[in-house]
Amino acid sequence: MGESSVIGASTVVSGHVRGEGSLEILGRIEGDVTVTGEVVVGASGRVRGTVSGTQLTISGQVQGDLRGSEVVLIERGGRVAGDIASPRIGIAPGAFVRGHVQTDGEAALPAASASATNAQRRPTIARVAPAPLPASLLKAPHKAEPRKLEPMRAANPAPAEAEAPRAAKPEPRRPPPPVIPVLGKGIKAKKKKGRE
Amino acid sequence: MAGTVIGEGLTIEGDITGDEEIVIHGKLRGRLTTTDAVTVGSGAIVGADITGTSLSVAGQVTGDVTASERVDIQAGGKLVGDIKAARFTIADGASFKGNVDMEI
Amino acid sequence: MNRSQHELSVLGPATRVTGRINGAGALRVEGSVKGDVSVHGETEIADGGSVEGNLHGDTIEISGKLLGDAEAEGAIAVRSSAHVRGQLRGAEVSIEPGARVSVRLETEFELDFGAQRRAVR
Repeated sequence: MGESSVIGASTVVSGHVRGEGSLEILGRIEGDVTVTGEVVVGASGRVRGTVSGTQLTISGQVQGDLRGSEVVLIERGGRVAGDIASPRIGIAPGAFVRGHVQTDGEAALPAASASATNAQRRPTIARVAPAPLPASLLKAPHKAEPRKLEPMRAANPAPAEAEAPRAAKPEPRRPPPPVIPVLGKGIKAKKKKGRE
Repeated sequence: MAGTVIGEGLTIEGDITGDEEIVIHGKLRGRLTTTDAVTVGSGAIVGADITGTSLSVAGQVTGDVTASERVDIQAGGKLVGDIKAARFTIADGASFKGNVDMEI
Repeated sequence: MNRSQHELSVLGPATRVTGRINGAGALRVEGSVKGDVSVHGETEIADGGSVEGNLHGDTIEISGKLLGDAEAEGAIAVRSSAHVRGQLRGAEVSIEPGARVSVRLETEFELDFGAQRRAVR
């Protein structure tokens, strides 16, 4: 079948890959992948870019967002630094994911961490997010847009981001609502009355 | 067994580099470099300079080609660009437009 | 389940707790908790159970609903029946297909994109 494509283990693609059919990635792609079929990133596969398809199975490593119109599966040994969105998402024990994982129909989390107390404990993310632009991309005359190399949204919000117009995104820094103490008292009081 | 196969529905805009055989049935715009053989299938459309050990063209290639061994343009194949290869064949029914340099 | 009865706490399906839960030993939530839960032991939100608050345990297994952050020294397992919204932080975090999630994972690891990046000339 001509529909099935393979990027071999020693092959490097610098640029975008798109089209119909399925794709197995055993080598490396520095660019976005958009296909109408399945995408398998084998254990040796590396993708730096956004990956879109029907069913994504990741055993290798991806730095970028994953969008599966049917399902996204991160297998044992797979590593993903990026956001994952799909109707069905599976992350196997022994897989590593850093990012926002969201099944269809669920509301997104606020841009900043839900719990402000955890904010200090996330310095390690910065190591991976602002990766240097590969030399290949810089030299290529028709190089891919640099947008795919932006730091992930999960990473420390850059100062520039804070200055961006507020209306553009949900307020990132609002502390979680003080549900527990307020609600707690109210409910207790009601319950006691009810019993008497 | 080809290491890399670009299926007929697939398009790559960018460079491909490899140390293995590369077969293209789809579309490529960019550059293609490998230390092994390259096959451009009958439905393929390639706008890229190609470097490899050997190149077989049954589809369309626009770009300069460098092969350490040979270049074969099959019947129905079309190559527009310069060839640099020790040996080459152009089959009956193939088309070629460009220069050939056999001193490699 | 081979833990002794004394070490396992169960909040039954008809039980509602509003407030913090702290302690040692395993905990299974079959009812609902509004408040933070912190236990030294295995913590489980059973199918039908729910926690609105932050959850801390040695290991955490979620088959029910969690609205809040979960943190475990060991593994966090989100089962297919689960509904989770919050941040998950554990030595290992797994999610079964079918689970409804909007979660942020903060796992620390390195990506290995290696030296081959310079291979393209």
